[in-house]
Amino acid sequence: MNAPDRFELFLLGDDEKKVEEKDETRVPNTAVFTFNKEDHTLGNLISQRLHSYEYITFSAYKIPHPLFAKFELRVTTDGSITPRDAVKKCCEDVVADLEVLSRSFTTEWLGKRIINEGEQDRLNRERDL
Amino acid sequence: MDPYDVEGGAINVRFLQADSTRANFLIQNFDLATANALRRVMLAEIPTLAIDVVEVFDNTSVLADEFICHRLGLIPLNAKNVDEALLYSRDCECDGYCENCSVTLTLNARCTSDGVMKVYARDLVVSGGRPNDEIGTPVIKDPEGLGSVIVKLNKGQSVHMKCIAKKGIAKEHAKWAPSAAIGFEYDPNNKLRHLDYWYEEDPKKEWPVDETNANIDGVPQEGEAFDYDAAPTRFFFDVETVGGMEPDTIVQQGIRVLQQKLANVIQELQGGEDIDMGGFGGQSPQMNGGGYGDPTAGSFSAYGGNASVWGGGATPYGATPYGQQPPSNW
Repeated sequence: MNAPDRFELFLLGDDEKKVEEKDETRVPNTAVFTFNKEDHTLGNLISQRLHSYEYITFSAYKIPHPLFAKFELRVTTDGSITPRDAVKKCCEDVVADLEVLSRSFTTEWLGKRIINEGEQDRLNRERDL
Repeated sequence: MDPYDVEGGAINVRFLQADSTRANFLIQNFDLATANALRRVMLAEIPTLAIDVVEVFDNTSVLADEFICHRLGLIPLNAKNVDEALLYSRDCECDGYCENCSVTLTLNARCTSDGVMKVYARDLVVSGGRPNDEIGTPVIKDPEGLGSVIVKLNKGQSVHMKCIAKKGIAKEHAKWAPSAAIGFEYDPNNKLRHLDYWYEEDPKKEWPVDETNANIDGVPQEGEAFDYDAAPTRFFFDVETVGGMEPDTIVQQGIRVLQQKLANVIQELQGGEDIDMGGFGGQSPQMNGGGYGDPTAGSFSAYGGNASVWGGGATPYGATPYGQQPPSNW
């Protein structure tokens, strides 16, 4: 009856932004990003990936409440880069990785399909003999 | 050297099985967070097609209208090229639905003979226009070509319905899920000790491993020292389609959707600064990203070449640190 529409899980509201950045004033080089209409898919991906950069001193995410489709990502850097740029760089690197993956997948898939079909042809020929 | 990883440190894919319903493969030199994000996206965020609105003209069967409507929604439909061929109904300019954002199917059956008549998925007929001649057709895999049973009719009973199939994602409703199940595994021998199983006497007997995957990943040596810094790099995927999409399309779409998600974030984070178009191609309408030189990528698939989700070819990703992958003869 009063259940929220399920598309509210992934469609941004009228005055909502995908990412909101808020500086953490109590700690230097720290910001909290709020990602609206996103979940663990992106939260875990970004926060874990950030750990692999040596200029990141802290990164973690939380979903403040399970009924609201948003997560907060807190990032601290060593000061050589802003948290915002660090997150941006991280996302760009993941996109690049996925591009490599996509291309490798394409070639391997085609190769495997050709082998399969060749095998099938061979079996058919052997049966016909 | 690892016989399964011939390409050194570059991200690469190896297939164990590839046919029209399953893609069983492993990704090497990848990281856990990205692999899991890809898995989650393939489960819930790839657009497909499913019946969403039903107009009931006549239903004298024993099942209630909404019962049948629910069953209709769950019937897998061919989703060839939905990504580009159809708009989301909510983004369409039309009122309700139209040919740009939906496919219409009709179900019209009456039982005139004695005994029970079954109405099958094959009795759903696409009426009206559709963007290509496969989209919207119910997926039928059984040798008799019947599909799943929708309702049973007795003499004199009939059903007549108009079904509007729309594009959607599984996050909204599971009927839009492209994959039946996605197998996902890493470190089958538990060398990293991410798992600590409970057992009665002998964990080796009580927790059988996937032999194929375990052998590929390398069986641990007896008395091998534990590496505290080790991280998983090899991920086993087993993607099985519901039938509406090819398994490779599901994976490729998953990658695209995830890239699109990240692209949105990047764009948003860039928004605050003055927009420097040198970095990304921004909103360039140029398709078929010229930045990538790989001819095999361009000729692939239903989603229009290898245009990156950025739209422009002049991205810094054109030259990846991994360079071009030579075709492997594995």
